[in-house]
Amino acid sequence: MIHSIIKRDGRVVLYEQNKIASAILKSLLETKEGDASDAARVANDVQRELEAMFHDESPTIENIQDMVEQQLMNHGFGASAKAYILYRANRTRAREANTSLMKTIDEITNIDALISDMKRDNANIDGNTAMGSMLQIGSAGAKAYNELYLLRPEHAKAYREGDIHIHDFDFYSLTTTCCQIDILKLFHGGFSTGHGYLREPQSIQSYAALAAIAIQSNQNDQHGGQSIPNFDYAMAEGIVKTFRKEFTRMLALAVEDLQDLDDALDAVKAALKSTEEAAGETLRLENRPEFDQAVAEAIQKQMSLSAEDAIWATSRARKRALRATNRDTYQAMEGFVHNLNTMHSRAGAQTPFSSINYGTDTSPEGRMAIRNVLLALDAGLGHGETCIFPIHIFKVKEGVNYNEGDPNYDLFRLSCKVSAKRLFPNFVFLDAPYNIKYYKPGHPETEVATMGCRTRVMGNVYDPTREIAYSRGNLSFTSINLPRLAIESAQSAKMELSSRTDSDAECFGHLQNAACLNDIAEKVFYEKLDQMLELTMQQLLDRFEIQAEKCVYNFPFLMGQGIWLDSDKLGPRDSIREVLKHGTLSIGFIGLAETLTALYGHHHGESEEMQEKGLAIIGHMRDFCDRKSQELKMNVTLLATPAEGLSGRFIRIDQKRYGRIPGVTDREYYTNSFHIPVWYPISAYDKIRLEAPYHALCNAGHISYVELDGDTTKNVEAFETVVRWMHDCGVGYGSINHPVDRDPICGYVGVIGDVCPRCGRREGESIAPERIDELKKMYPEMPAFQGIE
Amino acid sequence: MSVKVNVEEKMGQGVGFERIRRITGYLVGTMDKWNDAKRAEERDRVKHGVSHA
Repeated sequence: MIHSIIKRDGRVVLYEQNKIASAILKSLLETKEGDASDAARVANDVQRELEAMFHDESPTIENIQDMVEQQLMNHGFGASAKAYILYRANRTRAREANTSLMKTIDEITNIDALISDMKRDNANIDGNTAMGSMLQIGSAGAKAYNELYLLRPEHAKAYREGDIHIHDFDFYSLTTTCCQIDILKLFHGGFSTGHGYLREPQSIQSYAALAAIAIQSNQNDQHGGQSIPNFDYAMAEGIVKTFRKEFTRMLALAVEDLQDLDDALDAVKAALKSTEEAAGETLRLENRPEFDQAVAEAIQKQMSLSAEDAIWATSRARKRALRATNRDTYQAMEGFVHNLNTMHSRAGAQTPFSSINYGTDTSPEGRMAIRNVLLALDAGLGHGETCIFPIHIFKVKEGVNYNEGDPNYDLFRLSCKVSAKRLFPNFVFLDAPYNIKYYKPGHPETEVATMGCRTRVMGNVYDPTREIAYSRGNLSFTSINLPRLAIESAQSAKMELSSRTDSDAECFGHLQNAACLNDIAEKVFYEKLDQMLELTMQQLLDRFEIQAEKCVYNFPFLMGQGIWLDSDKLGPRDSIREVLKHGTLSIGFIGLAETLTALYGHHHGESEEMQEKGLAIIGHMRDFCDRKSQELKMNVTLLATPAEGLSGRFIRIDQKRYGRIPGVTDREYYTNSFHIPVWYPISAYDKIRLEAPYHALCNAGHISYVELDGDTTKNVEAFETVVRWMHDCGVGYGSINHPVDRDPICGYVGVIGDVCPRCGRREGESIAPERIDELKKMYPEMPAFQGIE
Repeated sequence: MSVKVNVEEKMGQGVGFERIRRITGYLVGTMDKWNDAKRAEERDRVKHGVSHA
């Protein structure tokens, strides 16, 4: 006798024959093959056969449905059997559609990104395009798989429930985050991106083009941002080569004119070479006067010129070559920024997430590169639009560019002027105590550089002889939900305090209770924090294990071309475990302000006492990272998490759990890292002063911004003052935010409220064609539109 | 973002202003692509005065 059946979710329920009979009847009626009595007869046979097969065991739903199909066919109801099979298949499809992965893909496929918050998780992806959607679908699939099969249950639980956030979880099994690409090293001897070999570049144009290619190629091997730490030093080399070409060409032309020759190029080249050998100096943008004299003498002899003519020709050649090289450099930089804003060569139809660092090369060529890249940034794109990528980082350094009299001071001033208009460059401060300790003059690889949103890799516990920025990056990072730990600790403390008896001498009276509450909450908080730090560390190490098992061939560019430190010593099938250890494993966090508010009632912008508490928490986390680094002989670092998608994720979960706690969960986001909340009224100076000490603690990356009111392009002095204050407070990485608006119609770039200051237009309004013509006369750089004569 | 425009649009009809803002350290050309949380944060941002304290 069959008593029970096993449902798909494993539940055991009573066997009800009439349910089976109903299903059979439905099929028979649909095909008009039979009636109720036929259904009863088939159902009886189904039961009998099942009993013969299963005796006292419980059949599954699948067993029963198989039997129904069989009996329908045995009784000659072929069409009904077919209908029943189809109905069953549809039910299965519907069931699978209900799983969350399919739901996710449905949202990606069908919901406009304007509505779907999930599709706007990464602002760099256009979730409405084919490739953007495909990346998001792949990402959803990978996450589903990784959570089921690659995470320990306790880590999966912590991730799912919002105790931690595993960043770039979709790429968990595949790769690492980012790298500082030493393009000088890459270019020497040429390189390959897969098919075909790229010779060592020989002009500034090629240097710039290959720099873009290097970024795009490396972007295919990693999921994070790509950066060049030595942009000025590298472009300088290209400028030397271009200047040489231009100089010899100009000189040859002059000689050809003077001597009525067809081709003097080889002769001039030979004269130059012999001069260089004799003088022990090569042709540069600037040479000793004796050098030019020697060149003049050489061509005078070689080409039978008069001394006068030879000197004149040489001097003209140098002047013209300088102009031509400068123009070539500007165009190369213009092409470079256009490329990185328009080539959607990163998966998901994104532009690569690129950064370039510069500012400290004081050679004439380096200065020419810096000046022109700033000017190209200032000019913007085709219609004057602000460049989104690359992120420009100006490396501020006393003695190099920071003070009047420093060789690159003019370029620091220019960078402030450009940043006041274009939001870039950002500023990295090499003199901050935690950065200067690595700095060795004449060794640019010891200059701190950043990449992506703020990643910093400098110290090297794994290999203390290689504390350099070049060729290293982050391996992965996971962030802790600090506010939640605080909320739970505060709740714990309340419960504990209310359960204490009145005879407890420490905690009597209303005032003492509040302090007591804070003390208990704080104690509980640190206990919970320690547990979470350990869990996060373990998860990072698990992920490292997966990464460490990969081989060079999994990273054809990053490792195959020797970009990553020491990967050039490995063969294609060699394990990358050891070389990966030059990278960082980073523990991140969000919402220090909300954490302090949950624990103590105020955030660190409100009092010095709260600032001390904040520094204590972050300091505690940093101590943990340092200890682990020493224990493991790896680079475990503390990150002030950028938190784009994360800014909303944790708080949404916490709001559901804990409701709206004033100052903690009553907004739609947690405050970024250690920042003073964006809504808190505070002067730029105090914000910078309070945030600066956290930069020292967050060695995996940090940034501070201020929002300036007014149009900073009209007040570059104020802008520079803020930058200098950042420097003085010990900030490591900072930028200044101001609204950058643009009217696409008249091309105005600046602050636009409701009305465009140039053409008087409001949003959505049109202006008369005569007005456009008038404006074009006043502003020749106005964008032109298709179809206007 | 550039698209080919018809006659009304090239005179400005229906064309808004582009507002570039820094998100978590990088720039995005339009607030349309920001997620809800970052949008809320941008709305809340106050300006920081630069006159000396």
